Amino acid sequence: MPDNAAAIPTSGNLGRVLARRERRFAAALLAPAFLALLATTTFPLLFLVGTSTFRMDLAMPFADGFVGFENYRTLLADDRFWSSLLVSLIYTGSTVVLQVALGLALALLVMDMKRGQGWFRVIAILPVVLSPAVVGMIWRTFMLAPEFGIVDYLAINAGLGSKNWLGDPLLAMVSVIVIHTWQWTPFAFMVLLASLASLPEDIYEAARLDRASAWQRFRRITLPLLRPAIVMVVIMRTMVALTAFAAIFTVTGGGPGTATEILNLYAYRKSFTELSIGYGSALAVALLVVTILISGVLFALRRAK
Amino acid sequence: MSGRGQVRFDGIVKMHGEFAALKGVTFDIEPGEFFALLGPSGSGKSTTLRILAGLDAPSAGRVFIDGQDITAADACDRDIAMVFQSYALYPHMTVYENIAFPLEMAKMSKAEIAPAVREAARKVAIEHLLERKPGQLSGGQQQRCALARAIVRKARLFLLDEPLSNLDAKLRLETRTELKKLQRSLGVTAVYVTHDQEEAMTLADRMAVFMAGEIQQIGRPADVFAKPNSIDVAAFIGSPPMNLIPARYKDGGVEIAGRRLETGLKEAGERNVVAGIRPGAVRIAAGGIPAVVELVEDLGDTAILDLDCSGISIRARVSDGDVPSEGAALSITARPADIHLFDATTRRRL
Repeated sequence: MPDNAAAIPTSGNLGRVLARRERRFAAALLAPAFLALLATTTFPLLFLVGTSTFRMDLAMPFADGFVGFENYRTLLADDRFWSSLLVSLIYTGSTVVLQVALGLALALLVMDMKRGQGWFRVIAILPVVLSPAVVGMIWRTFMLAPEFGIVDYLAINAGLGSKNWLGDPLLAMVSVIVIHTWQWTPFAFMVLLASLASLPEDIYEAARLDRASAWQRFRRITLPLLRPAIVMVVIMRTMVALTAFAAIFTVTGGGPGTATEILNLYAYRKSFTELSIGYGSALAVALLVVTILISGVLFALRRAK
Repeated sequence: MSGRGQVRFDGIVKMHGEFAALKGVTFDIEPGEFFALLGPSGSGKSTTLRILAGLDAPSAGRVFIDGQDITAADACDRDIAMVFQSYALYPHMTVYENIAFPLEMAKMSKAEIAPAVREAARKVAIEHLLERKPGQLSGGQQQRCALARAIVRKARLFLLDEPLSNLDAKLRLETRTELKKLQRSLGVTAVYVTHDQEEAMTLADRMAVFMAGEIQQIGRPADVFAKPNSIDVAAFIGSPPMNLIPARYKDGGVEIAGRRLETGLKEAGERNVVAGIRPGAVRIAAGGIPAVVELVEDLGDTAILDLDCSGISIRARVSDGDVPSEGAALSITARPADIHLFDATTRRRL
């Protein structure tokens, strides 16, 4: 009799048994996706960090071997690393600021459009769906080519004369910033437009009756209410801009010289042009650390207040 | 503050495409008056308030405040405060910041703002909630916050757009009383939009009854209740609404269900009319219209009877003491002064 009593689960341990079964079932369902993620993201990441502690030079394989933090020490003393980091930060900062400012301005304009809003949205979203490599090619040939490119044609007609848009270091930097901004401003525009559309109309009417001017309504009501959306756009665009590659690669290849060589491109050149895989990996890890640090600061800002 | 806040609406028309939301609305509001705009949904009362606030522009007509034509003036130049139906509080600001906002916009110094905000909050009993955000307040507290924001800057006109409609029944009754006291203590002109005739009756010094974009009647609530000037007003004011019975008028009396009832109208002749008798004016007495009690709705202190008078439905309100049972046969009548007569064609009061 006592044996039977032990075999029959009471309501308490029946619940525990069911919960355990459910956990097992959930784990079984999760496992394939989890393993795929491990294999495609975590493992390569760990492999990258591991590689960065080796000297792995395909041009001189006889010198390969474990070097610990040697690659990182070299990196800290490498002027080209610091200059590419600076280029990355300038590129990221300016493109993100421009995207948010232009996206917000466009969203505010479109909100007041009585007709054609739908068409505007469709047209505006087109650059986003293009591959960055295609965008780079379009700008390099169709827009910026000397004499024949639209931008150069406009510059000539404006009396500025033909410019070597991708050959001059400053103009090349401005060009790649403009290209990235052109392609990704619609993203900021769409997110901010959706946020603007969700703001209640009556608080603006209340603000008008409270004698707030149009600028005060924008600064005291619109901006604070859009803050979560703006911060989210800044975070997402910063992460993407820091790791941008294809457009710059196709337009300038990092040149002229290293004028537009962002950290990502430098890591690529080191790894696949100079075949210094170990040092290239250390550069990639450095970019990862920079991205995590900046994202961390932005997320902290998002949570603040 | 007396002498401020006089309003004149002069032939205001508001068109939405082909649809006329307001068809030439004219009325005056005296300084310090509590004026209600009463009407069913879509009657044009909120449009009237929005035009007065400057949030919408009229298609024709002129608006005057204190004798000054403000038809083309922007909302921010009208010196008007408003409580919205949704309260329209700034969700990212605390209660303190919400109340202080209109004062900041008027470029008052922080030293002047702080006592003014606390005084306004004290008047509506929310001084303990100043650090909270609107999302952390109950509906009633939000409503008080909106009231405080409206009264803090001592505007010349105080507009209220169905401010009680989002509150539960008990809180609505409490707030109604407080609102009236607040308006009296401030002495400010208030314009109050509501579809609830009980609110208008209890709060307003005078009211305008809106129907289909037109004002049907303006007057003191008691006068509008006692002498509705059209069938539409008679049907709208009063709960339960007035019994409106098609009848034949002849030499001072009306014939309903084959029985003659004397009326207050002493006019010779014969015509088709609509006789109106309020449920509370129906009396159970011998020699009147025979009726059968179809349904009794017991409200505690009174009861509403649904009566069938030879095919005509009439509702009567009787006091708790003498409630007949369902199915009982009785006879009803009304005093001549309690029978309202309306022209069957023009629908106007005779």
